[in-house]
Order: sequence, then C-alpha cells, then structure tokens
Amino acid sequence: MEKAIALKNFSYQYPDGTKALSNINLSVEHHRRVALIGPNGAGKSTLLLAVPGFIKGDGQIFVDGIHVRKKNLKKIRSIIASCFENPEDQLFMPTLFDDVAFGPLNLGLSPEQVKKRVEDTLKKVGLSNMADKAPHHLSAGQKRAAAIATVLSMEPKIITLDEPDGNLDPRNRKNLTNLLMELTQTLIIATCNMDFAAEIAQRAILVDKGQIIADDDTEKIMKNSSLMNEHGLEVPKKFI
Amino acid sequence: MHHSYIDKFSYQNSIIHRLDSRVKVITVLIYTAMVISLPKTYLTVLTCYLVGPFALLVLGKIPLKFAFKQVLLVSPFILVLALSSPFYDRASLTVPFGPITWQISRGWLRCCVILAKFVITMLALIALVSTTRFSALLHGLQKMGVPKILVIQLGFLYRYIFLFIDKVQHILQARAARKMRNLGFKKETKVAAAMLGSLLIKSINAAENVSIAMQARGFDGHFRTLTKSKIKANDIIFALVAVSLMIFLHFIIRPVMT
Repeated sequence: MEKAIALKNFSYQYPDGTKALSNINLSVEHHRRVALIGPNGAGKSTLLLAVPGFIKGDGQIFVDGIHVRKKNLKKIRSIIASCFENPEDQLFMPTLFDDVAFGPLNLGLSPEQVKKRVEDTLKKVGLSNMADKAPHHLSAGQKRAAAIATVLSMEPKIITLDEPDGNLDPRNRKNLTNLLMELTQTLIIATCNMDFAAEIAQRAILVDKGQIIADDDTEKIMKNSSLMNEHGLEVPKKFI
Repeated sequence: MHHSYIDKFSYQNSIIHRLDSRVKVITVLIYTAMVISLPKTYLTVLTCYLVGPFALLVLGKIPLKFAFKQVLLVSPFILVLALSSPFYDRASLTVPFGPITWQISRGWLRCCVILAKFVITMLALIALVSTTRFSALLHGLQKMGVPKILVIQLGFLYRYIFLFIDKVQHILQARAARKMRNLGFKKETKVAAAMLGSLLIKSINAAENVSIAMQARGFDGHFRTLTKSKIKANDIIFALVAVSLMIFLHFIIRPVMT
C-alpha cells in the first residue's frame, strides 16, 4: 500500500536565502495521527505547506503515491486537505454553509451530495444550527471547528492541521481533541502544545532548524526530557 | 474585538426578512432615485417620503434607535456639506406646508433638504441591509446581472473589513502603549507611515493566506454556490405595494404639497 505522504531529500529555502527545510526524508502511513513538534520557527508550517504543493523546493514529495507537481495538484488536493493556523484565513465565504460547501462544490459533486455533506459535517463538528451564520458571528472555538468542517466536507484521505489548538480555551481544546480522535483519516498536526500532541498523536516528529531531529512513538520522544529541553520543548504532563 | 455589525438584525424573521433580496434591492434603488431627484425646495414633500423606510423598519422589527444611530455614524460627512449651504445662499423664501407657510433663507432650506434626503435614503439602505442577509444580498446582486467578480469582491470586503479594523485598532493600541509624549508633526508622520506600511504587509499576507486556503479546497478561478432563490407571491405583493406607494407620493402627494 502506498504511504499517505513521503518526502525524499526535500529542501526549501525562502526567497531571501534563509534555509527553512534541509534534506527532509519522511513517510507517514495511512490512518495514523502524527504530531510535528518543534519550537517556533522550526519549519513545521513550511513543511505542511510543502506537502500539498503550495511551495516548491528541491527533492520529491508523494501524496498517496502521487508525485506532487503542477499537473497533479488538482488530484492531490482532493486527497489531502489543509487546515491553516488562522481560521479567519480558512473562512472566507459569506456564510458557514457556503464555506463548508466550497470544497465539495469544487470537487464537482452534485448539489444534493454537497448539501448532504455540509449537513453531515456541520453535525459532526457541532455547528448544525450555525449554517446560515456569517463567520464573523462565530466564537473562536466555533471558528476553529468551522475551519475543520471546511476540510472534512471534502472527505480527504489526509488532513494537515497547523496549530489547531491555538487560541482555544481548555473546554474548546477538549472538544477539538475529541473531534480529532474520532476521525479516521491520516492526521498530520503541527503544534507547539506538547500536552495536546501527547493526547492525540501516536507518532511524533521533532523538527528544529529545518531538520528532523527525532521520529518515533510519541511517548518515547516526549519522555526524553533532555531531548525536549534541548529543542525548547517541555515534557507533557501525561508523561511526567 | 466586537463591532456593531450593520447587519446584526438580518438574521431575524419577519415579513420583510422573508422577501427576495432582488425585490428589496430594486425597490430601495428606485425609491432612493426618486428621493434624490426631488428639487431642492421640496422639503415638505420629502417629509412624506419618510413613510417608505419607516414602514420597512417597523415591519422588519428593526429598532428605530439602532437605525438612527447608524445614520448618525455616517452623518459627519454630509453635515459638513449641508451646513455650508446657509453661508453662500441667504436669499429669503416662503415655504408652504399644507395650510401653514413660513419664511426661511434659501441656504437653510437647501441644508434641510440635503439632510432630509440623506436621512431618508440612509434609513432605506439600513432597512435593506438589516432585513437581508449579506449572502442573500450578494446572491441577489449576482442574479440581477452584477458582474460576478464585483460580487466576489464585495463578499471579501464584507468578510475581511472587520478583521482589518481589528488590525488597525491593535496597531493603534500598541502605539498608544509606548507613546509617552507628543512626538511632533514630523515624527508622528514617520510613525504613521511605518504603521501604514505594517498594515499593508499584514493585508498582503492575509490575502496570500486566503488564496492558499482557497486553492487547498480546489478553487480554480470559478466561484460555485448552491444558493437558489425564487420570486414568490409575497414578493409580488410587496413590489405592488411599493410601486403603489411611489406612484401615490409622486403623482398625488407631490403636486398637492407644492
């Protein structure tokens, strides 16, 4: 079976010459929940942008066995969906319904299929009664759930989430954790919150200064306090 | 941050809210054109034109206090224009209001007419946006043949204007927190230029992020929506009532009052 994602000797540098990612070799199996952990500026978000082909670097990236290049982008973006750090960037349509329907409509589904998907997805994230609301009328927690709904409605095989727990209070973080734990898709989650990562991920990949420092079971990596401290992270409460 | 959104009553349910957005847009446009086209001496006729927006606001269950607050918010621009009129036209004029007449300078009359036209048209506009969801308004505009690109731009403007205002407020707060004294005109201008630059970069970043988010969900340059609308019996009745009112005001009230 093809890997969900595979990166081979992938490197990327910003237009000003700063190296963001150096020689990344990585593969993730389907139906796994993987946490990309690392300090601020480690390259986690850049890596998440590279996988669906939003930025182009040196080396090769495969998504579900398909080479990420211009001619395959449409197919790739129907397989992998990205949920970005700021939900305001994700919610750009006048109503929540339109936002959640945006992806399925672009996939070419029929109006009936789109409606069903939107209803099912909004129910899943607990926003059924908000369909007609404008995004700016939602709370921070609702916006986060809505942003996730916009990608879930596309029924992708793989979902990348960049700091999904950012700006969430404990209750909303718990709701988000429960929602993500229910998903059967491959999840690749970039986060600085070690408690959140420990709760969700089966595997952790520690990234720092654009390189993969460690890649193993979440518990093995996160229990290693010297490794965590060395890279500006902390051991989550769960493993103390 | 919380903003007093202009459309905060648009999610209510009333006879006016349930009307098709196209019918409301066309009615308000024609009504506005009629009000604007009234001659500058027809102050008494203008007062009768208040009935239209008032009816919409009352039937739409929109608090009048809210509507007048919105009018006040945008009034400074028009006040400057209106209040300058008395200074350059002092000729006296007799104004009839039914059996009553009174003397007024032409400048003051023009000032009152400008303000009355502004209040009536603004109330009509507020009644429209307060009884119509913005998404329905955009859909209606698109159905009426407004270019798609313009409708999309309007949608983005409405979606992101509040975030932009937030950003401006954050920058101003950061400046206020560190500005301990008056810096003088030259330095203040420099600071303002730097703030504008920062705002521009933030806006470009936000636009790039939105563009990536759209591409991530398969956007290929074509906007697809599911919204459908149909003209119903209620819409036709409303249109007939509106047309009757306009005919009544134009052909019966206007000649009588002047």
